[in-house]
This record gives sequence, C-alpha cells and structure tokens, in this order.
Amino acid sequence: MNSHAFAALAHIPILVFPVGPIPRAAFEKYAAEIRTFDSIRLGDIPAGMKDERARFMPNPLSSGYLYLSYPSHPPPPRHMSLSLFRPSHFTLGIIGVAACSSSYSLASALEQFENTVLDIFPEGSTFPLAKVCLAFEDEESAGSTGLGDTLPGIVSIPSVMGNKKLYIGTLLADLCSHILAELGRVYHVLESPIGNEYLNSALFPTLPSPSEMPLSLSSGNLGYPSYSSQPELESSGLATSGIQIKRSSTAGPGISHTASLIQRQTTLGPPAVRKRISAIGAVSSHGRLYKVLGDFFLLAGRTEDASLWYAEAIVLFKTGQDPVWHGSVLEGMATVFVLDAWSAGQGLQSSVSNNGIKEPWADIYDQLSQSIALYQKAPAPSEPSQDHSLLALTYCTAVMRQTSLLFCTWSTKGWGALAFASMLQPASTSYTQKTTSDNSWTNLERISIVSGVSRSQIANTVSQAHGPWLLHLGPHERLNILQSMATIYSSLGYKRKEAFILREVISCIMDLIVCGREENDLSRKSDVGSANTGNRSENGDEVSAVGKGAVGVRQNEILEGNQSILKLLVRACKVLGVDLEAVGVATATDGNSSEAGGRDSNGFAVEDLEGLADAARESFGWPELQVGVIREAIATALDPLAVARISLSALRTMHSVLASSDQYHLYQTAGRALAAMRRRGEAPAVEYWAGNPIMSLALSPLALHRLPIENPFSILTAKSSATNSLLSGIIDPFLYNPRKSSGPQSKNLIVQDEPIELTITLRNPYVFDLEIQSISLSTTGVEFESSPVSALVIPPNTLYSITIIGTAKTRGTLVFRGCIVQAPWGAPREFLLPVPTDADQNLFARRQSAVRCESGRTKYWGLDSLPWEKDGRRLSTLLPSLKNPPQFLQCVVVPEQPLLRIRWTSLTHGAVMLYNGEESTIRLTLENISALPIDFIRLSFEDSTIGPAQEALSEGELSVFETYETEYDLLHRKAFSWRNEKEITNILPNQKVVLSVTCVGKVGCAYGTVHISYSQVNRGHEEQVPVPEVFYTRQLSYPVTVTVYHMLECHDMRLMPMIDVDYDDISPRASNSVIHLLPEVDDPKEWCLFAIDVRNTYGLPFEVTFEREQAGTEIAAVSSTVPPGSMSRIMLPVKKFRLSDDQISQPIPTLSDRQFVVGKSKLSIEEEQAQRELFWYREELLKIVSARWKETNGDRHGDLSLRQQRLTLPMLKALRTDVVQIDLTLIVDNPDGSPQELDYSRGKYIASPNEMLYLRVEVANSSLLPLAMTLDLIFDPAEQVLSEGVLSSIAIGKVKPDETKAVEVPLCFLCTGRFEIGAEVRIMGTSKGSRASASRICISVREDG
Amino acid sequence: MSHHLFLLSPSDTPIYSLTHYSTKLPQPTSSSLSSNLPTWSTSAFAGTLTALSGASSATQSHHVQGGAVRMGGGQDRHVIQMIANASLDVIEDVMRKESAMYLKSVDKFNEWTVSAFVTPGNMKFILLHETKNDDGIRSFFHDVWELYLKTMLNPFHTAHSPIRSIVFDTRVRASAKKYL
Repeated sequence: MNSHAFAALAHIPILVFPVGPIPRAAFEKYAAEIRTFDSIRLGDIPAGMKDERARFMPNPLSSGYLYLSYPSHPPPPRHMSLSLFRPSHFTLGIIGVAACSSSYSLASALEQFENTVLDIFPEGSTFPLAKVCLAFEDEESAGSTGLGDTLPGIVSIPSVMGNKKLYIGTLLADLCSHILAELGRVYHVLESPIGNEYLNSALFPTLPSPSEMPLSLSSGNLGYPSYSSQPELESSGLATSGIQIKRSSTAGPGISHTASLIQRQTTLGPPAVRKRISAIGAVSSHGRLYKVLGDFFLLAGRTEDASLWYAEAIVLFKTGQDPVWHGSVLEGMATVFVLDAWSAGQGLQSSVSNNGIKEPWADIYDQLSQSIALYQKAPAPSEPSQDHSLLALTYCTAVMRQTSLLFCTWSTKGWGALAFASMLQPASTSYTQKTTSDNSWTNLERISIVSGVSRSQIANTVSQAHGPWLLHLGPHERLNILQSMATIYSSLGYKRKEAFILREVISCIMDLIVCGREENDLSRKSDVGSANTGNRSENGDEVSAVGKGAVGVRQNEILEGNQSILKLLVRACKVLGVDLEAVGVATATDGNSSEAGGRDSNGFAVEDLEGLADAARESFGWPELQVGVIREAIATALDPLAVARISLSALRTMHSVLASSDQYHLYQTAGRALAAMRRRGEAPAVEYWAGNPIMSLALSPLALHRLPIENPFSILTAKSSATNSLLSGIIDPFLYNPRKSSGPQSKNLIVQDEPIELTITLRNPYVFDLEIQSISLSTTGVEFESSPVSALVIPPNTLYSITIIGTAKTRGTLVFRGCIVQAPWGAPREFLLPVPTDADQNLFARRQSAVRCESGRTKYWGLDSLPWEKDGRRLSTLLPSLKNPPQFLQCVVVPEQPLLRIRWTSLTHGAVMLYNGEESTIRLTLENISALPIDFIRLSFEDSTIGPAQEALSEGELSVFETYETEYDLLHRKAFSWRNEKEITNILPNQKVVLSVTCVGKVGCAYGTVHISYSQVNRGHEEQVPVPEVFYTRQLSYPVTVTVYHMLECHDMRLMPMIDVDYDDISPRASNSVIHLLPEVDDPKEWCLFAIDVRNTYGLPFEVTFEREQAGTEIAAVSSTVPPGSMSRIMLPVKKFRLSDDQISQPIPTLSDRQFVVGKSKLSIEEEQAQRELFWYREELLKIVSARWKETNGDRHGDLSLRQQRLTLPMLKALRTDVVQIDLTLIVDNPDGSPQELDYSRGKYIASPNEMLYLRVEVANSSLLPLAMTLDLIFDPAEQVLSEGVLSSIAIGKVKPDETKAVEVPLCFLCTGRFEIGAEVRIMGTSKGSRASASRICISVREDG
Repeated sequence: MSHHLFLLSPSDTPIYSLTHYSTKLPQPTSSSLSSNLPTWSTSAFAGTLTALSGASSATQSHHVQGGAVRMGGGQDRHVIQMIANASLDVIEDVMRKESAMYLKSVDKFNEWTVSAFVTPGNMKFILLHETKNDDGIRSFFHDVWELYLKTMLNPFHTAHSPIRSIVFDTRVRASAKKYL
C-alpha cells in the first residue's frame, strides 16, 4: 500500500539496493536501519547552496519535515513521461548498500554501484537527482579495507563506529539536501522559456535529453547528476531571488506571504518567465510551471509556498483547457491541507474536535472528487500512446488517494493525529491492522460511527477506480491497484467484493505467468531485473511477490508462489460458498489406517448420522457463480494435486447443482491430474471424496442347513415334552406382549471356519461411472479373514450391491464396523455403519424433523449462513444429540459344527402318496460330511395340518368337545413320527445312518417336513472352564409332499337296542355277514346293534373290517367289500355296558396344559352332565369298536377313523345298560291251571283274542342303591285291550339292589291284530320326565292262535 | 439498455432471475478513460480480467452504439451475477442500519448501479441498472414483491426453492416492460 499513501505527493522516494556481494541478511539489516528514517527535520538539512539550487532549501530554523519513502523498485521506464507531471512518482535519491571486506574494495563497490545505476536508469533520464553508496565494513575485516582512502561518491562506515544511526541520518540529510538542490536546478531549466515550451508541449511532457537541449541548459548536467560531480557555480538573478522567496516566505504569518508573493510576482520569477516566453512567441500558460513549482515545494516540505503556487496555478487553469494538470493541482492542495493539519496537530495527540457542521475532511474530499472528475473527463489523447496508460494510472491513483483519506480516517476512528499519521506514513502505523482485525459487523459498525465515515461510502469511493481503464495499466500497476482495493474491501468486511477483486488479481497473476512462460520459452534469459526486484520487495505485499516470484517458478522451484495463488483462490471461493479444501490430502497411508482404528468411533458415527441429516439442509450460494469459479480455479491451479483436490471437492460438495457435463468434466480432470501426479512419481493420496458410498451392510443369512441354532444345555437332561411343544403352538395369551420385542435381539450366529457372505449396497449419486479401487470390511473382535473387492465400477445414479466372502477364524464376538473404501489414487477411508437401535432411530428422526423444520426459516443469512459455519450456530430448537455409542452389526462366532447331509431317501421327488389312514415309512440316509462326530440327534416334524389346528385351538372358539377332538388329533394321530428303534446317537465322520420315519395318511395333510437337529455336544478335547450354558445344533430339513386320498367315508352311525331289531329287515340290508353274529346275542336286552354306513368315494374297491373287542365277549369282526362309488352298511352287535358314575362325572379332559380355559357354553348342570355322559360313553365305544380297511386287490391297508361320528342321546340310551331292568312277560293260564308263558317267536308273542292273559312285569334294580319306583303301562291300541286296575303310576315300592319285584296285570285283547305293550319305570324323587327304564313287547293276536 | 433482476434467498441462492432489455436508449456515458482499450494479452485469464473489469461490455457498447439492444453474452452474464453477488455486501450493511425496504442505488460497480429491495422475510431483490429511474424501479419492486408474495402463498413453496412459475415470470416481465 506504500504507493497509495495519501501523502505520497509529499514523499521523496529513495531507492535502496544492494551493491556487490552482500549477504541478504546483512543488506536487510542495513536497509532496515536506513528505512527507519521516514522523515527528516528541515532544520537538519545542510543548506550551503548559493545559486538556483538553493531555491527549495529550507531556511535554517524552519520546523517542517521532509518525508521520505523507500519504494522497493523504481518506476518502469514507461512512466518517464510523468517525470514533470508527478516528480514524487520517481525515485529522487538512490542509496547503494555495499559490504566491504578485504576482498571487496571500496573502488570496486563504487564501480559496481555506478554500473547498476546505469542499468536501472538509462542515461538521459531526469531522475534520480542524487545518489550515494554506503559501504558498511564487515566486522571480521575491520580496518583491513583501507577506509582511510576516501573515494568520491562512496561513504564507508566502519564497523567500529558506535552510533551508526546518527551517521546514517546525517548522510540522509546530506542526500536530501542534494535532492533539493537538484530540484532547484530542474526548476531553473523549466522556468526558462524553452523549458516552459517543453512543459506545455504535451499532456505529459518530458524534458528532452541534455544533448537536445539548448546549449545554455545542457550545462546543467540535469540528466545525470551525481554526488561527486561538483556543480558549477552559475550565478544568476533567479538564484538569489529564490533564496529571497524562501526567506520571506518563512519569515512570518500570512500577510507577509502575500506580500512576498506579490513582490515576487511583480518583480521576479514568473513575470520574467512570461517575458521570455512572449519573447519566443509561444502563448503557453504558466499554470503548469506554477504547478511544478508547487509540487517541488511540497516535496521540499514547504507547504506554505506550495499552497501559494497551487493557488496561482488554479487561477490559471480555471480558464484553461488543461483538466489533467488542474486535477493534479487539486490533489496537491489536498495533500498540503493534510500536511498542515498534521504539523498543527502533531504536538497534541488528541484528535481535532469537529464541531463544525461539515466533517473536517469534507473539503479535502470534495477537492479530490473534483480532481477525479477532471481526470475522468479529460479528453482522450488522440494518438494511442503511453498517455492512455498514464492517464488511467493518474486517475486510479487519485481515486486511491481519496479512498485512502476516507479509509485512514475510518480506520483510525476519526479525524485526528492518528489519521494524519497513517495518511503520511502508512507503514509506520500498525494501527489500521489493529482496529480492523476484528472483522465482526459490530466492530466495523462501531468504527464507522466513531469515525463518522460509513463503510459504504468508502466502498463507493474505491469502486470508482474499478473500470475498463484498468486494462490500460501496466501489469504491475494493475496488480497494485487491485490488491489495494482488495485490501480495503477486506478491511471493510465486504468479503464478496473482495472475492470479486481477488478473482481479477488471480487472473492478472495467471496472465503474467502464462506470458512469462511464453517469454521464457522464447528466450531462456533470466529476467534478473524483475526477479531481483520481486525478491527485494519486503513490504509484506504478498501479491506482488507472488507475481514476480511465479514468473521464474520453473527455474527457482519456489513453491510459495503456487501456494499463495491457491490461498487466494480458496479465500475467494469460500466467500462464494465453495469449499475448495473439502477433500483433504491424506497423510501417510499406514498412519491413516492406524489412526482410523484408534480414533473414537463415536465421532465418526455421529458425523455420519449428522451428515445424513445435513442432506436435508438447504444449499448455500449462487450455483452459477460457484460453477464458474470452480472452472476458473481448475484452470488456475498449477499443481496437479490442487487440481485434483479442487475438482473432487466440487464434486463432493456441489454435485447436486452441477450439470452432468460438468460432473463428467470434473471427474475426468481429477483423474487426469492424479494420473499425472502418479506419472511424476509423487504419490500423495487424496482423501476419499465421493460422499458416503455405503448404503447398507447386511449379513446374508446362512443356508438353512448350515445355520446353527442355540439351545440351552438343559434340554439334554430334561425329557422333552413333545405334548407341550406341539399343542402350545401359540401359547402367548397376550395379544401384544411388550416383553417379547424388547428381549435380546436375535443374534447372528456364524460358524467358525466357515465362509459367510456379506452384502454391501453401494450408492453412486453422480452421473458418471464411479470407480472404486477397493472395498474391504472393517471389523473388530474376532479375527476375520476376507478378501477385499477391488476394481469396482458403480454405474451412474444407481444402487449397487456387492458380496464379500469371509471367514471368522476363532470363536467369540465379531463386530462389523463398516467398510474401508478407497478411490483410485486416493487414501482409504473407513465408513462406519452403525445399526441404529430404536432409540437412536427415534432420535435421528427427531433430528431430521428438527432440521427440516429449520430449513424454511432463516436465522442467519448471507455469509453467516455458509454451510461450514452453520455447525457452530444455534438453531431455534435444540437438536437432540446422540449420546449412546453406536451399535454395529454383531455376530457370534460359534465353534465348528459337524455337517450332515441327506444322502438318499426312499421317496422319489420327495413325495409320498397315501390313502387316508394308511401308514408308510420314509427312509432317510444321512451322511456326516464333516470331520466332527455327531453325538446328538433329534427329529421333529411339521405338517400342514398342525398349523390350522393350533390356530383353531388358540382362538379358543371351539367347544370343549371339539377342543378335545382337535387335541387328540394332534397328539395321537401325527402325520409323521419317528421311533428311534435302533437307538442312533452317534454318527462318526463319514458314517452313514438310515432313519425311518413313519408317515400316516391324514386327510388335509398336503406337505410336511422332517427336521433333523444334530450336534456335537461332548467336546472332550477342549475342556472349557466355565461350562457353557448353551450348545449349538444344526438342523437338516427334508420336505415331503404328501398326497392323501380320501377314499372311505363313515357316516350315519347308529346304535339300536337289539330288542327293536327286526331280523327280517336286517337280512336284506346288512351287507355284511351280521347274521352269523346274531346267534351270540343271547339276550337282546343286553345287546345293542352298532350300524354305520361306509361309502367308497374312490375308484377302487376296499374291504372294510370292523372289529369288536369287548370285555366279556369274544372278539368279533365283520367285514364287507365296499365297491367304488357305493355305500355299505356295517352292523355289529355290541354288548351294552354301563360306566360308573364316578367316571362319567369327570369333566372332559384337555390334553394340553392350557390355562385360562373358560367355559363359554351356558349349559345347565344337567346338560353338562349329559354331555359328559355322551363323551365318556363315546370314548368307551370307540375303544371297543375299531375299523380297518384293506385294498381288495392289493395289500395296502390302514385304519378307518370313527372319530368323526357323534353319539346322540338315543344312541346313548341304546348303548347303556339301564338302571332298572324291566322284564315283560305275557302269561296265559293253561287249561290245567298252571301259568305258562305265551308263545314267543321272532320277537313277538302270539296270542288269541278274548283270552285272559296276565302281563307280568318284573322290575330288577341293577344299581347299587335301593330305589323306590312306579310303573306305567301303555297299550297300543289301548281301546282293544281290557285290563284290570290302573295302568299308570303303579307303585312298586322300594326295590333293594339286586332285588326283583313283579307286578301282574290281567288283560285281554279284544280283537286280532298287532299290539304293543310298553312299560316304563320311574324312580320316585327324581324329576317327572325321567324314566329310569322302559321296555316293550309286541304281540300278534290271531284267531288261530 | 438492460436491466438485470435477481431474487436472492437468504442463503444467497438466486431463486429467480430476469434480464430485461429496455427500449430506451442508453445514455452514452463512456469515459475517455475506457476508450481505446488495448488487447494486452491473449491468454484466457486476460479474458476473465477483461470481463470482470467491465471492459468487454464497454467495447461491446461501442460496437453497437446504433442499436438499442445490447446482447449479454455468457461471459457478461457471469460478470453481472458477480456484481449482483458482490453488491450484497453493501446491501446487508445498509439493511442492518436502515429499516427501509427499498434501497435506492445502494451500490455502484463498473457501469452498473445496484438497487435493492429487501422483504421482511429477508429475500433480496437486486436490480442492476444503468440509468436513474427511481420511481419506476420503486414501482417495479413493489410489483415484484406482490407477485412474490402470491407465489409464496403456495404451501409447497419454500423460501429456498427456485420460482419456476410461468405466471410469475410473465407478470414480472410485464411489470418490467411497464416501469423500466
């Protein structure tokens, strides 16, 4: 910023450069010492000149200062045209710094100094005006350099000198004195008529080289003054007048100024010039001359004189058409104003009070504005010359000066001493940096309020400098201006504007680099000058250092330049919301992996989860600008690593806004850059960049026959109760059981030394094929061996699954943390995949919704809402944090297990076809194909009838009776069963065993499964100290398809009392040979007849056999062949029986241990009693009668189930032996008077009408209690029967057990026909309707009888 | 003469942009400083610099002095967006201090003057224009605001989603035609 100091017009620039072989450090030291003198008191200037050179000399007691500045390099030769317009732009003095030693003499130093000066400033240029070479003596070689001999033009400073600084100050004052003297000489030339002509000849005039000057001038030796050259003493009137002016001007207050001015004007100086001009015939105005005079006075620190001559110049310029010079005068006046204010306020450190209405700097500001306007409207130079460039430079400098005024005032918190100081000597005050270092808005705004300068005002001022005219400027000036603008914007906190300018700065630098390379290619000559000056710039000006340093980057191998450009890029891009460093450079590969392992896993996981949540957040920034800036950044970055990082960062952070072509381009660029790097042999790996590619990690379930099942050891000892397991299919009584779900999650069991498969789902959100170099699993716990998947290409915008196969080496717990992914040429990166628990998921969902809720609202805006600054910000709601450590996919590795396989089965296609009730055997040959013996084997079965039955049971809608039937079915009629007849327990390795499974045809069974659980329980060779509570089994399943043909149906079971059986009827109807069984029925009252219809619905005839197996009788069987499609009725006499009261009063049992069976039926006690009675009698009947079937033409056979048949109350009555036995007999008196039983044949009595008969009723009590009974008699038809006595409620009296009582009733049939007589016995004391027993007889009354 | 309107969300993302070419003739404001620009380099970066400094538009305007419409090229458009983005600095600064919604000519850059309108919801309407047209711009901004509010009434529209409504576009264009 040195070049844009506000008061640069008043600075005498002095160039300091090294001479000869001087170490850099030594030069820096001496130069710094010289540079500490930023001002010199006018009183210290030796004034000894007498001629025109004394014009600008200070008077001895004046109190002003000369201000020195030390630019790092001279202005370029192109600016030579400005030499008269702006002398302060040029280095007026030169100091060479040499280090003298024994090997480097003073003379050689001087020679080199002269040569260098000639190199820098070609002969004929106006400047520099004075030069000196300082030779510092080395400490080692003190005294040996021959300091004694003094050469003109070089001053040697011995190392022994104590106060070097004082001496240097004196030398500087000497130099300044010479400069001032030379200024006087220049002015002397200018004020001559020819000089004035030259001055007015062009927009930016120059003095011609001395040779072209008129003879009178050339003697001045203007072009090449030197310290050594002794100026010739030229006495002229002007010289004395100059001294007079000086004297008078400093003599007293204002009046004397004007007086002297008037005097001077009237008598001497300019009037004389005017005269000479007119004498020559030119009509040039003296405005420019006065302006130059003012400039020189300003440089000489004599502000009063300067302002006087500036005022003169303005008067002349007001009418004239010389806006550029006019503007320059205004600039000079502004500088004078500030210098005056500075010297007035320097003593008192307090700031000048601004009690006026206008700000004190408003006048200066207006002056400068005017000047800027003048520059701007200056007529364009007709010929395309340097003038364009110089005019633009002048304009920009003026704008920067105006900005500097505001900025200094602002940054030093107001118009005051500090502000002046920073305007005069910006380098010496670090105050600016201090105040603006805190870049917060509040601080900046506070400064604005304190200083009375608003930031937008500064910004508007500085933005005037920005425009197309920047292209006129030379590269260095352009950089300088842009960099100053950027600094100001940055200090103001206007980051976006800074970014804008920075982009231009970068473009400038890059253009220089590109051009520099081309130049380098053309001529390999090193551009010493620019490189040297670039290196020498020590004002902390990073940009220019970069610019110069980067030119020679190929030769110098300086990486700083590239790094600095990158820094600029990153800074500019960050403002636009692009993080170019999102993808970092991985550190050493091995270090990274160990670090990843050691790092706390929580951080990772939380980050991952949050990353997901962040996806819901809104994007930041202007996508088009971001894309543009990234393209530019890629073009700018010189380093392939940087190119790769930038492209990958862009892909990572911005792929949602990038067009597909851009994505392709970036990906390819990154690939090329990385490949180039690899070619060069550098191998810095970039971090993994493509977001989180892992969607999920899942353990593929093991094949069923390999899956180990955990069992407690207790089941080995306890006898397994198959009952329970089968019946209690769904035993949980609660519809919703909260404990069930919260129980331990089912563990993933895997087996040691057996391969498992893991499925990884990958995601590619990009539009190109994403390459992944390798993916491997990251596990902890048990040693796990897996081979990484390499060279993977994921198609664009898809999910992609891969499978990794691995083996656990030892038993224990295995945790899959996630995957380690490596992109081509990238560093591997671990991605964790926690398996969220419910609580975690809940939290996560809450976080997501909180973020989503937040996304519509704006708490921070603008640059505060940059994505990477957001994390530190508060949201309006507190996000719930994930506290629990993440859970990962866990597996339990169980010890090695034996493996069985089914080698052979007796079934073809695993299918079995059965008739209903048929029994068949399935033979399974098992082979142990592992190296471990099997000492535990157990079979369980499953078939399709179990499920529905269990479901019906669990629903509980069945009646008690149905429940019993279902349970019976489940328990006693299993479709599959295994009787371990051979006691198979051990299967040695490679041994084969045969298992026989019985299969019963059961209607409704469509398929079934045989499960063979096996294990090696006793592992003698590895004794474990804690006896494990569990052991693992494997299960082999063999599915069987079952087809059951339902061919025989039983229905319509009947039980009839034998008495009622009409034998005539039976014979034709009974399809079986029941007749031959009848003879065994000795007493029809003791028997009943069991009849059932069997229908054959199948296509083959079957022979059905019913068997009776009853105590007290012989085993009897009836069989019948049932032809296809027809129905047969089977009859079988069954002896009546009676169950004890105890037995029938038992409730219907349940076969399971189910609880909570609440009787739903609303049955009365009697009804319930009746139901139980029916149940128990039926059970008994089914025990007695069994049915079998047999294929007529084959040997297949089976059981026929009768359990579908129901027992009804009449059937029960027929089956049950009555409590009371009634025996009806008809007796007729024989002619001999002896009673005789009437003829009985074929179940009937045969009687004659009108014959007196006796009906004898014998009642026997067959129960265990004495019973009091009554008897009812019924005749049918009653009208044709005469009887004696009452027929109903005939009291029998109490009959003891096993006692028989008889009642005789005389009767007479009045006609022929068929009669029936019924008798009913009722037991007293029971309900009316219940008859204890009944009997009847049939009588056939015939005439012939 | 052209106008460039940008609707920026609080996170500086444009949700709508419009370039409007007015039929009014631009005032020739070119300074002599920006005339006769040299082509000082041919590298791509020089192009960027040329564009950013506003030189390309300056030369362009010289070429088509007669025609009323100046074409905004791709490069130019990027620069205009950059300027709009950079002007946010000043707009944010001013809107913190002043409660006015319409910020008249808050910023100037190159040849562009920037006017802005800040809604209570922190949406920023930014208009780049070359000439002074205070009343017209104010009315235009109010029109756009109303249209924007109508769009925002849509419950499925968030503050950050781009406005793609054709109706909105048509009406904003009509308003621009009327006032600018």
